[in-house]
Order: sequence, then structure tokens, then C-alpha cells
Amino acid sequence: MTSVVVEGPRVAAPRASHRRGWWRRNWVSLAFLAPGVIWLLAIVVYPTIATIRFSLYDETATKFVGLHNYASVFSTDAILTAFKNNIIWVLVFPFFVTFIGLMVAVLTERIRWATAFKAVIVMPIVFSTTASALVWRTIFDLDPHIGVVNAIEQTVSDWFSTPGAYPLNSAIGQTAASLASFNATGGPGGTLLSKSAVHPGGTVMMGLTRVSAVTLQTLGAQTPLAPQKMAGGIAGLVWNDFSPLQTSNTTTIVSDEHGLPNLRLSLVSSTGSSVASTVTNSSGDFSFSHIAPGSYHVEILGSNFQNAFVGTFWLGAQSITPTSGLNQTAQSLLSVPLIDLAMIISYIWIWAGFAMVLIGAGLAALNREVLEAAEIDGATEWQTLRRVTIPMLAPVLTVVFVTMVINVLKVFDIILNMAPGSSQGPATTLALSIYNDGFTGGIHSGVASTIAVILFILVIPAMLWNLKKIKGGNS
Amino acid sequence: MKEIITTKRGVMSKNLLGRVKASRKALIATVALTTMAGLSIIVSNGPALAATPKKIGGSVSIWAEWTSTEQQDFKAVLQPFEDSTGITVHYTGKGSNMDTALDAAVAGGAPPAVALVPDPGTLDTLAAKHAIKPLASVIGSEAKNYGTAWSGLATYKKKLYGVWFKAANKNTVYYNPAVFAAAGITSTPTTWSQLLADETTIANGGTYAPVSLCTDIGWPVADLFQNLFLKLNGAAAYDKLAAHTMKWSSSDVTNTFAEMAQMVGTGGTNLLGGMKGALADGSWPDCTTSVFPSSGLPTAAMVFEADFTTTNVPSNYTPGSGSSCTLSAKASPCYDTFNFPAPSGSAYTGDIQGSGDVAMLLKSSPQSRALIKYLASPGAADIWANLGGFASANKKVPLSSYPDTVARADAKALTSAKAFVFSLDDLQVGWEPQLWADMLNVLQNPAASNVTTVEALMDQQATTALGH
Repeated sequence: MTSVVVEGPRVAAPRASHRRGWWRRNWVSLAFLAPGVIWLLAIVVYPTIATIRFSLYDETATKFVGLHNYASVFSTDAILTAFKNNIIWVLVFPFFVTFIGLMVAVLTERIRWATAFKAVIVMPIVFSTTASALVWRTIFDLDPHIGVVNAIEQTVSDWFSTPGAYPLNSAIGQTAASLASFNATGGPGGTLLSKSAVHPGGTVMMGLTRVSAVTLQTLGAQTPLAPQKMAGGIAGLVWNDFSPLQTSNTTTIVSDEHGLPNLRLSLVSSTGSSVASTVTNSSGDFSFSHIAPGSYHVEILGSNFQNAFVGTFWLGAQSITPTSGLNQTAQSLLSVPLIDLAMIISYIWIWAGFAMVLIGAGLAALNREVLEAAEIDGATEWQTLRRVTIPMLAPVLTVVFVTMVINVLKVFDIILNMAPGSSQGPATTLALSIYNDGFTGGIHSGVASTIAVILFILVIPAMLWNLKKIKGGNS
Repeated sequence: MKEIITTKRGVMSKNLLGRVKASRKALIATVALTTMAGLSIIVSNGPALAATPKKIGGSVSIWAEWTSTEQQDFKAVLQPFEDSTGITVHYTGKGSNMDTALDAAVAGGAPPAVALVPDPGTLDTLAAKHAIKPLASVIGSEAKNYGTAWSGLATYKKKLYGVWFKAANKNTVYYNPAVFAAAGITSTPTTWSQLLADETTIANGGTYAPVSLCTDIGWPVADLFQNLFLKLNGAAAYDKLAAHTMKWSSSDVTNTFAEMAQMVGTGGTNLLGGMKGALADGSWPDCTTSVFPSSGLPTAAMVFEADFTTTNVPSNYTPGSGSSCTLSAKASPCYDTFNFPAPSGSAYTGDIQGSGDVAMLLKSSPQSRALIKYLASPGAADIWANLGGFASANKKVPLSSYPDTVARADAKALTSAKAFVFSLDDLQVGWEPQLWADMLNVLQNPAASNVTTVEALMDQQATTALGH
């Protein structure tokens, strides 16, 4: 009996004291851990669980709907567009940013003022993405007076085709024929022909409209004068047949109308051949003298109307890939909007510095002996880079690459700030969809949470891989 | 800085947007008119207050969406009431979630005595729950201050439950009078075909684009479609489409899209910068600056959006038209509006799209009854009309109370509305952003085959979201 009495506590006592001992040994660490753990539970674990829960409920988060939201996410074109854009970003951005980071890191190793140069490259990371996005939005602006990209395009385009004195606005689909107002009709090759035939000794008047007041002023257009008959020749007038005083009148000259100067004309015979050419004066008058008898038409040459430059809509939704004939869903999945390209370029500008810094650190830690050995063995710079530097840098390059994959899966602010309203939908990504569905307009917490859960699942592999790498680095 | 605002607005709920704008307008107006208004309150509200000389005392609570400057303006409206009745009014500005806040308060059993909501649907819901009181006996003859369009919107099962205190109008086309004059247009269009003809005249002039089209994420295009649909088919058809008891694939919708394409012109010939330009520069409110630039010359003649557009016109522009209006923003530029035109001989000229705030009585007491009667009186609305940034549906408010001709025309259109409808897209809960995207799609490609495709898609989206 006594032995049992003694033995009971003996068995129990070590357990209890062991437990007490564990608390006694660890309470300080636990006390220090507690704030962090509570913090983590409150701002990471709880929201994660709540988001997963919301994704299974309806819009008002009151009714359980199972996987309905997941089904609707994959059948909504707008969200499929977001998936597609995320895929484009992931396929294009991490590769290029790593590659450019590597190039810059390698090249800056061998220049003077490397530190200053690196500082400039790194600078965009310091700027807010919103600010960068607005700068790039301006750079890609449609108007060549604002956007530098289109200004360059305009300069190049003007080398090859000089706009005429009366350039057509191809942005609104203007043609030479659409300018015709009186006694003029569209001819072949973007020309305008007088409707009525004219004989030597006769006169011809042609009225055009849609000529900008700015153009008239630049060319110094004067009041038009009715042409005077000339013996053996043809006199005429081309004038801007538009007066605020008499908008309906299109057949006669009104006092505040203007002649059209600097128009290159040619006189076309009945056989269609050009027999003479001239240019209108500042009053829009012209004359052809010493003309053989016959029937003629006056032609205003197409070169007068050579199109004005219209910028590329870099921030637009037009697809790089052909999408004609596809239905809505296929278009959502297969179109590659031009703005994606513009935004990726901008985002590379922002993040190339970050890639360069990490890769530069990796380069500095490389074993110089191996590089020297390569040099002694007669390897060229390019061979050294490809066969020695890049393989030795592989771990760093992969970390940069994977970090950028994670970064770009969550890409958000550059789109919100860089895309004009009409491109917001076509350029959307998952992160932006979460914001738009969850927090603007009609609130759809169910759908937004569902997209958030899917995005979370997509980020997990890259995240685990990075964690493993970091652990591997420590051991 | 301007760009940031624009982009943020691009994704902001447009209702919220309207309110942001409205409060800005009020800010400017208040700064400019504080001194003047102080005088006019005393002058113009003498008679209205004389009608309620009895000191009641006690207090009453009232909720509305207005905050910041609008809150100050509304408090200016309440001040004479407090002074003459001795009732203390506790005002709470609930911001853009007014409807939700009121729903919660009603469910929780502690609603305010009086509340103003920006939504006739809420009035119907609360009336069905008997959460609000009928007003016929409370406001008495003041009910006659409102046209049938307005009392109809505040009526549930033949009983009047609300007073439309503040209203906003989407029936407005803003234009630069000097640009119209430069094109030789002497009177503003009153029919749809005149509008189209004026567009051609302006285009023929060659210097200005007829229209600067606001596109943004699609909501201004939806507003345009809604206005046009209303003018072509009337409020009854509009309500059916809003409820999706009329199909998007119906011929009424198809015709509206066809007329919209006419206004835009083939490939955007009537738009500033063509279709590309409208998409690139059509973000709200950038689209207004080409018609009303703060410096230099305008590049477009007109821009369509609701009466809150006034807040985006630079302060050097004078309201109204006339021969003194200059093209140059540096001299004496002007802004003006005309009513969105209906087809010639249309029965729907007086049908108007817009929004408003309706006052409802939730708890009946001598104080709350006196307050809602006061809000229904012309005197109350008159005070805010003087302050600017406000239009009343109350037809007894003299037009002379409004600070300028543009505000006067706006108020006149509202009070004389034959039928009044709320923004259709806001009722498309669950697929509103898709509707906007669909509108942009049709705008860019109005070919019959594409319209058919998009209409089918819209019917499908509406069915998914609305359940029928």
C-alpha cells in the first residue's frame, strides 16, 4: 500500500514538474513572442481565413454559395482578361528585368563613375510607382506635342512623307473627297477634280471646306477674288467655302471667306493627261496661260492633302495579336493589348535598378580566380559572360527572377495610374480586379475574395521556392 | 496632380464622383457668395419663415449624405428654421453610404426622425416596411410645389412618402458659345436632327471638333446612351429596360445605338481626335478641358455630361452666351448649356434623367413634422439655391434665386420635367462595370453585327446579375 502511495506521485510528479519546468524555462521567450504572434494572427492568419470564407459566400457575405464564385470567376470575360494579362506580365516581365539587370550590372563593373551610374539606375525604385506611372503615361501620350515616343515617331514619319499644306486628319478618317464643297469631286489617288469642264477663255471656281483657321492663318490666306477671264488661258479660284455668316451658302463667295494659297494644281485634258501645272496665290487664284483649245478639268494634287501624323495609341487596348472573328471570351483570352507592352517597359524601368543591385552584389562575390583563369585561357568577354559568369551567378539570377514573378503577379498601381479610363478594363490584372470588384462601384466581396484566394494560390509556389532558397543559403 | 485625380476617378463609383464634384462646386460658390448670400437669406426668406412663427422647442435628428461644404450649405438652410421654431436640429452627414447606414439604423430600431436618401428605391423599400410615414397630412399644401414626375417618384401605393429636396440633371449638353458663333450657329439645337446638322456645320468649319466625348471607363457613354434612349423611347420603356423586363436586344436599344453612332460619326468623324482621341483623352474630367480650356483656344464645341460639369469649367468662364463671349480663355470666355434634344415632335422632350435626394419622415413628432414641412417649402430650397451648386425640384422656388443663367436653365428643366428617371446603370447591381465596357465596345464598333453580339452579351450579363 505504502509503496503504491509513494509510487503514484513518483510517476506523476516528474510529468507535472517537467511541464512546469518547460513553462519556467520558456515563459520569457513566450512573453517576447506573444505580441508578434498575436499581431500575426490578427493581420495575417485571420484575414486569410476570412477571405477564404468570404469567397464561399454571396455578395453581401450573408448566404453560403459554395464554389459558385469560383465558377463565375472563370466564366466572366472581364476576369479572364485579368488572368490573361497576369500571364503576359509573368511571361515577359521577369525575364527582361533580370536580363537587363544582369547586362547593366556586368557593364557598370567596367566603367568609370560606376557608383554614380548605378545610383541613377536605382533611383526609380525610390519613386512612388504612381509618380512613375504618370511620367510614363505622359511619355506614351497620343499627342506628339506631349508624348515623347510619338514625337519621335512623328519626326521619323515626316522624313518619309512630308504632310501637305492642307494635311488631312486621318484620325477622324478624313479623305480629300470629304473636303469637296462646290464644283469639286474626289479623283483618283486622293486628288480633287473640278466637276465642270472648262475651256480656254473660261474660268473655274472650286470650293473646299473643313480647312482649319490655323492653317489659313499660317499660309497667310487672303480674301478670295472672283477669277477674271483671260484670252487663251484658264483662270480660276480655289477658296475655303465656309463662312460663319452664311453656313448654308455653298455656291458663292462670302465676304469673310478665304482663298486657299499654296495649292499645287494641274490642268487635265479630256484624255486624262496633265497639260500644265501651277500653284494658287495667297488669294487662292490661279491661271493657266496659252492653253490649246479643248475641254479641261482642274485637278488639285493629292500631295496637298498628305496626311498629318497621327500618333500611335500606345496606351490603347488594340491587340498586337490578330483577334478578328473571335468571340468575346476568346478575345479576352487571346488579345495582347498594346498598353501591356507600354506598361511592361515602364515597369522594367522601375525595377531594373533593383535587379542590378542584387546581381551586382552577386558579381562582387564571384570567385575572381575563375574569371582570371578564363581570361588566361583566352576566352572572349562574351564567352566569359555566357560560360562562366552567368552559370556562377545562377542562384542570384533565379532569386531575382522568382522575386520578380511574385512582384508581377501582384502588379496593380502602375495599371491604375497609367491606363486611361477606356483601357482600364482591357489592361486589368487580378490584383486590380480585386480592388475594382471589392471596393469600387457595386461591392462584390464574394467575387473579389475569390480572386484574392486564386492569386494567393498562384503566388504560393514561387514563395515556397524562395523560402527554400533562403534556408538553403543559411545552411 | 490633375492626372492623379483623373485616374483615381476613373475607378471611383460615379455616384461618389458626382458628389465629390458637387461639394467642390459648393466650395467655390460658398467662397464667392458668402457675403451676398448672407443678405439674400434675410431678404428672400422673410415671408417663408413668417408662416411658422410658433415656437415649438425641443430637438430633431436628420440624416443626409452631404458632408463638408454641402453640409455647411445644408446647415445654412436649417438655421432660419431653428431660429424661428426654437427646435434644435441635429444633422449627421453620412457620406456616400447613406442608404446602407439608414438601412442599418432602421433594422437596429434607432433611425433618425428625418432622413434624405439619394435613391427612390430606398423610399419604396422603407414604405413597404412601414418604416416611413405618409406625408399628405403633414406637409399639406406644400405638396403642390412639386410636379407630377417628382411626386410620382415619392409615392408608394398612392400615398406620398417623400419630398425631393435636391435634384441633379443629366439633360445638359455643355457648349462653348464662342465656338458655336465661329461656326455661324446662332441658336442652340432643339431637336436631335438639328444637333446632328450643327455637328456637320462645325466640322465643315474645319477648326473645331464638334464633340469632345467623355469615355472614361464607359460611364459617360452609358449616360449618353441613357439620355438618348429616354428621348427616343420615353420613361416607361426606360424603366422596363432598367428592370430588364425589356431586352437589350430589343429594337428600341438597337435604334438608340444607331442614333448614337450618327452623333459620333462614322469612325468618330465628329469627335475630337477621332475615336482614338476620344478613348485616349476622354477620361473624366479631361474631356471637358478641350471645350473650356483654362488657357489658349478651345478645340471642341460641346461636351455632354450632367449639370455637375459646371464645377469643371475654369472660374474665368462666365455663364451664359452672347456676342461678348470670346474664344480666347484669356479674354472673356463663356460656358452655356442646352437641353439634350429629342427627335422633332417627340412626346419625350420633357423626360429627364438625373438624380436627387428625397426627404422622408421616419419618426413622427411635432418637431420632425415641422422640419419636413419646412424642407418642402420654397423658402428652404431658396437658401441653398442662392448659395449655388444646388437645384431644386420645387417649382415654387423662383428662378431668380439661382445665381446664373446656366443654373436657372438647369432648375427650370428639373421643375418642369414631365417624367424623371434615375441613372439606369446604377440599378444594374452586379454587372454595372460590364455594362460600361459593353458601351465602349459598341461605341468603337457600331456595325450591326457587333451591336447584335454585344446586345446578346448584355442580356446574358443582366440575366446572370439580376436573376431574370
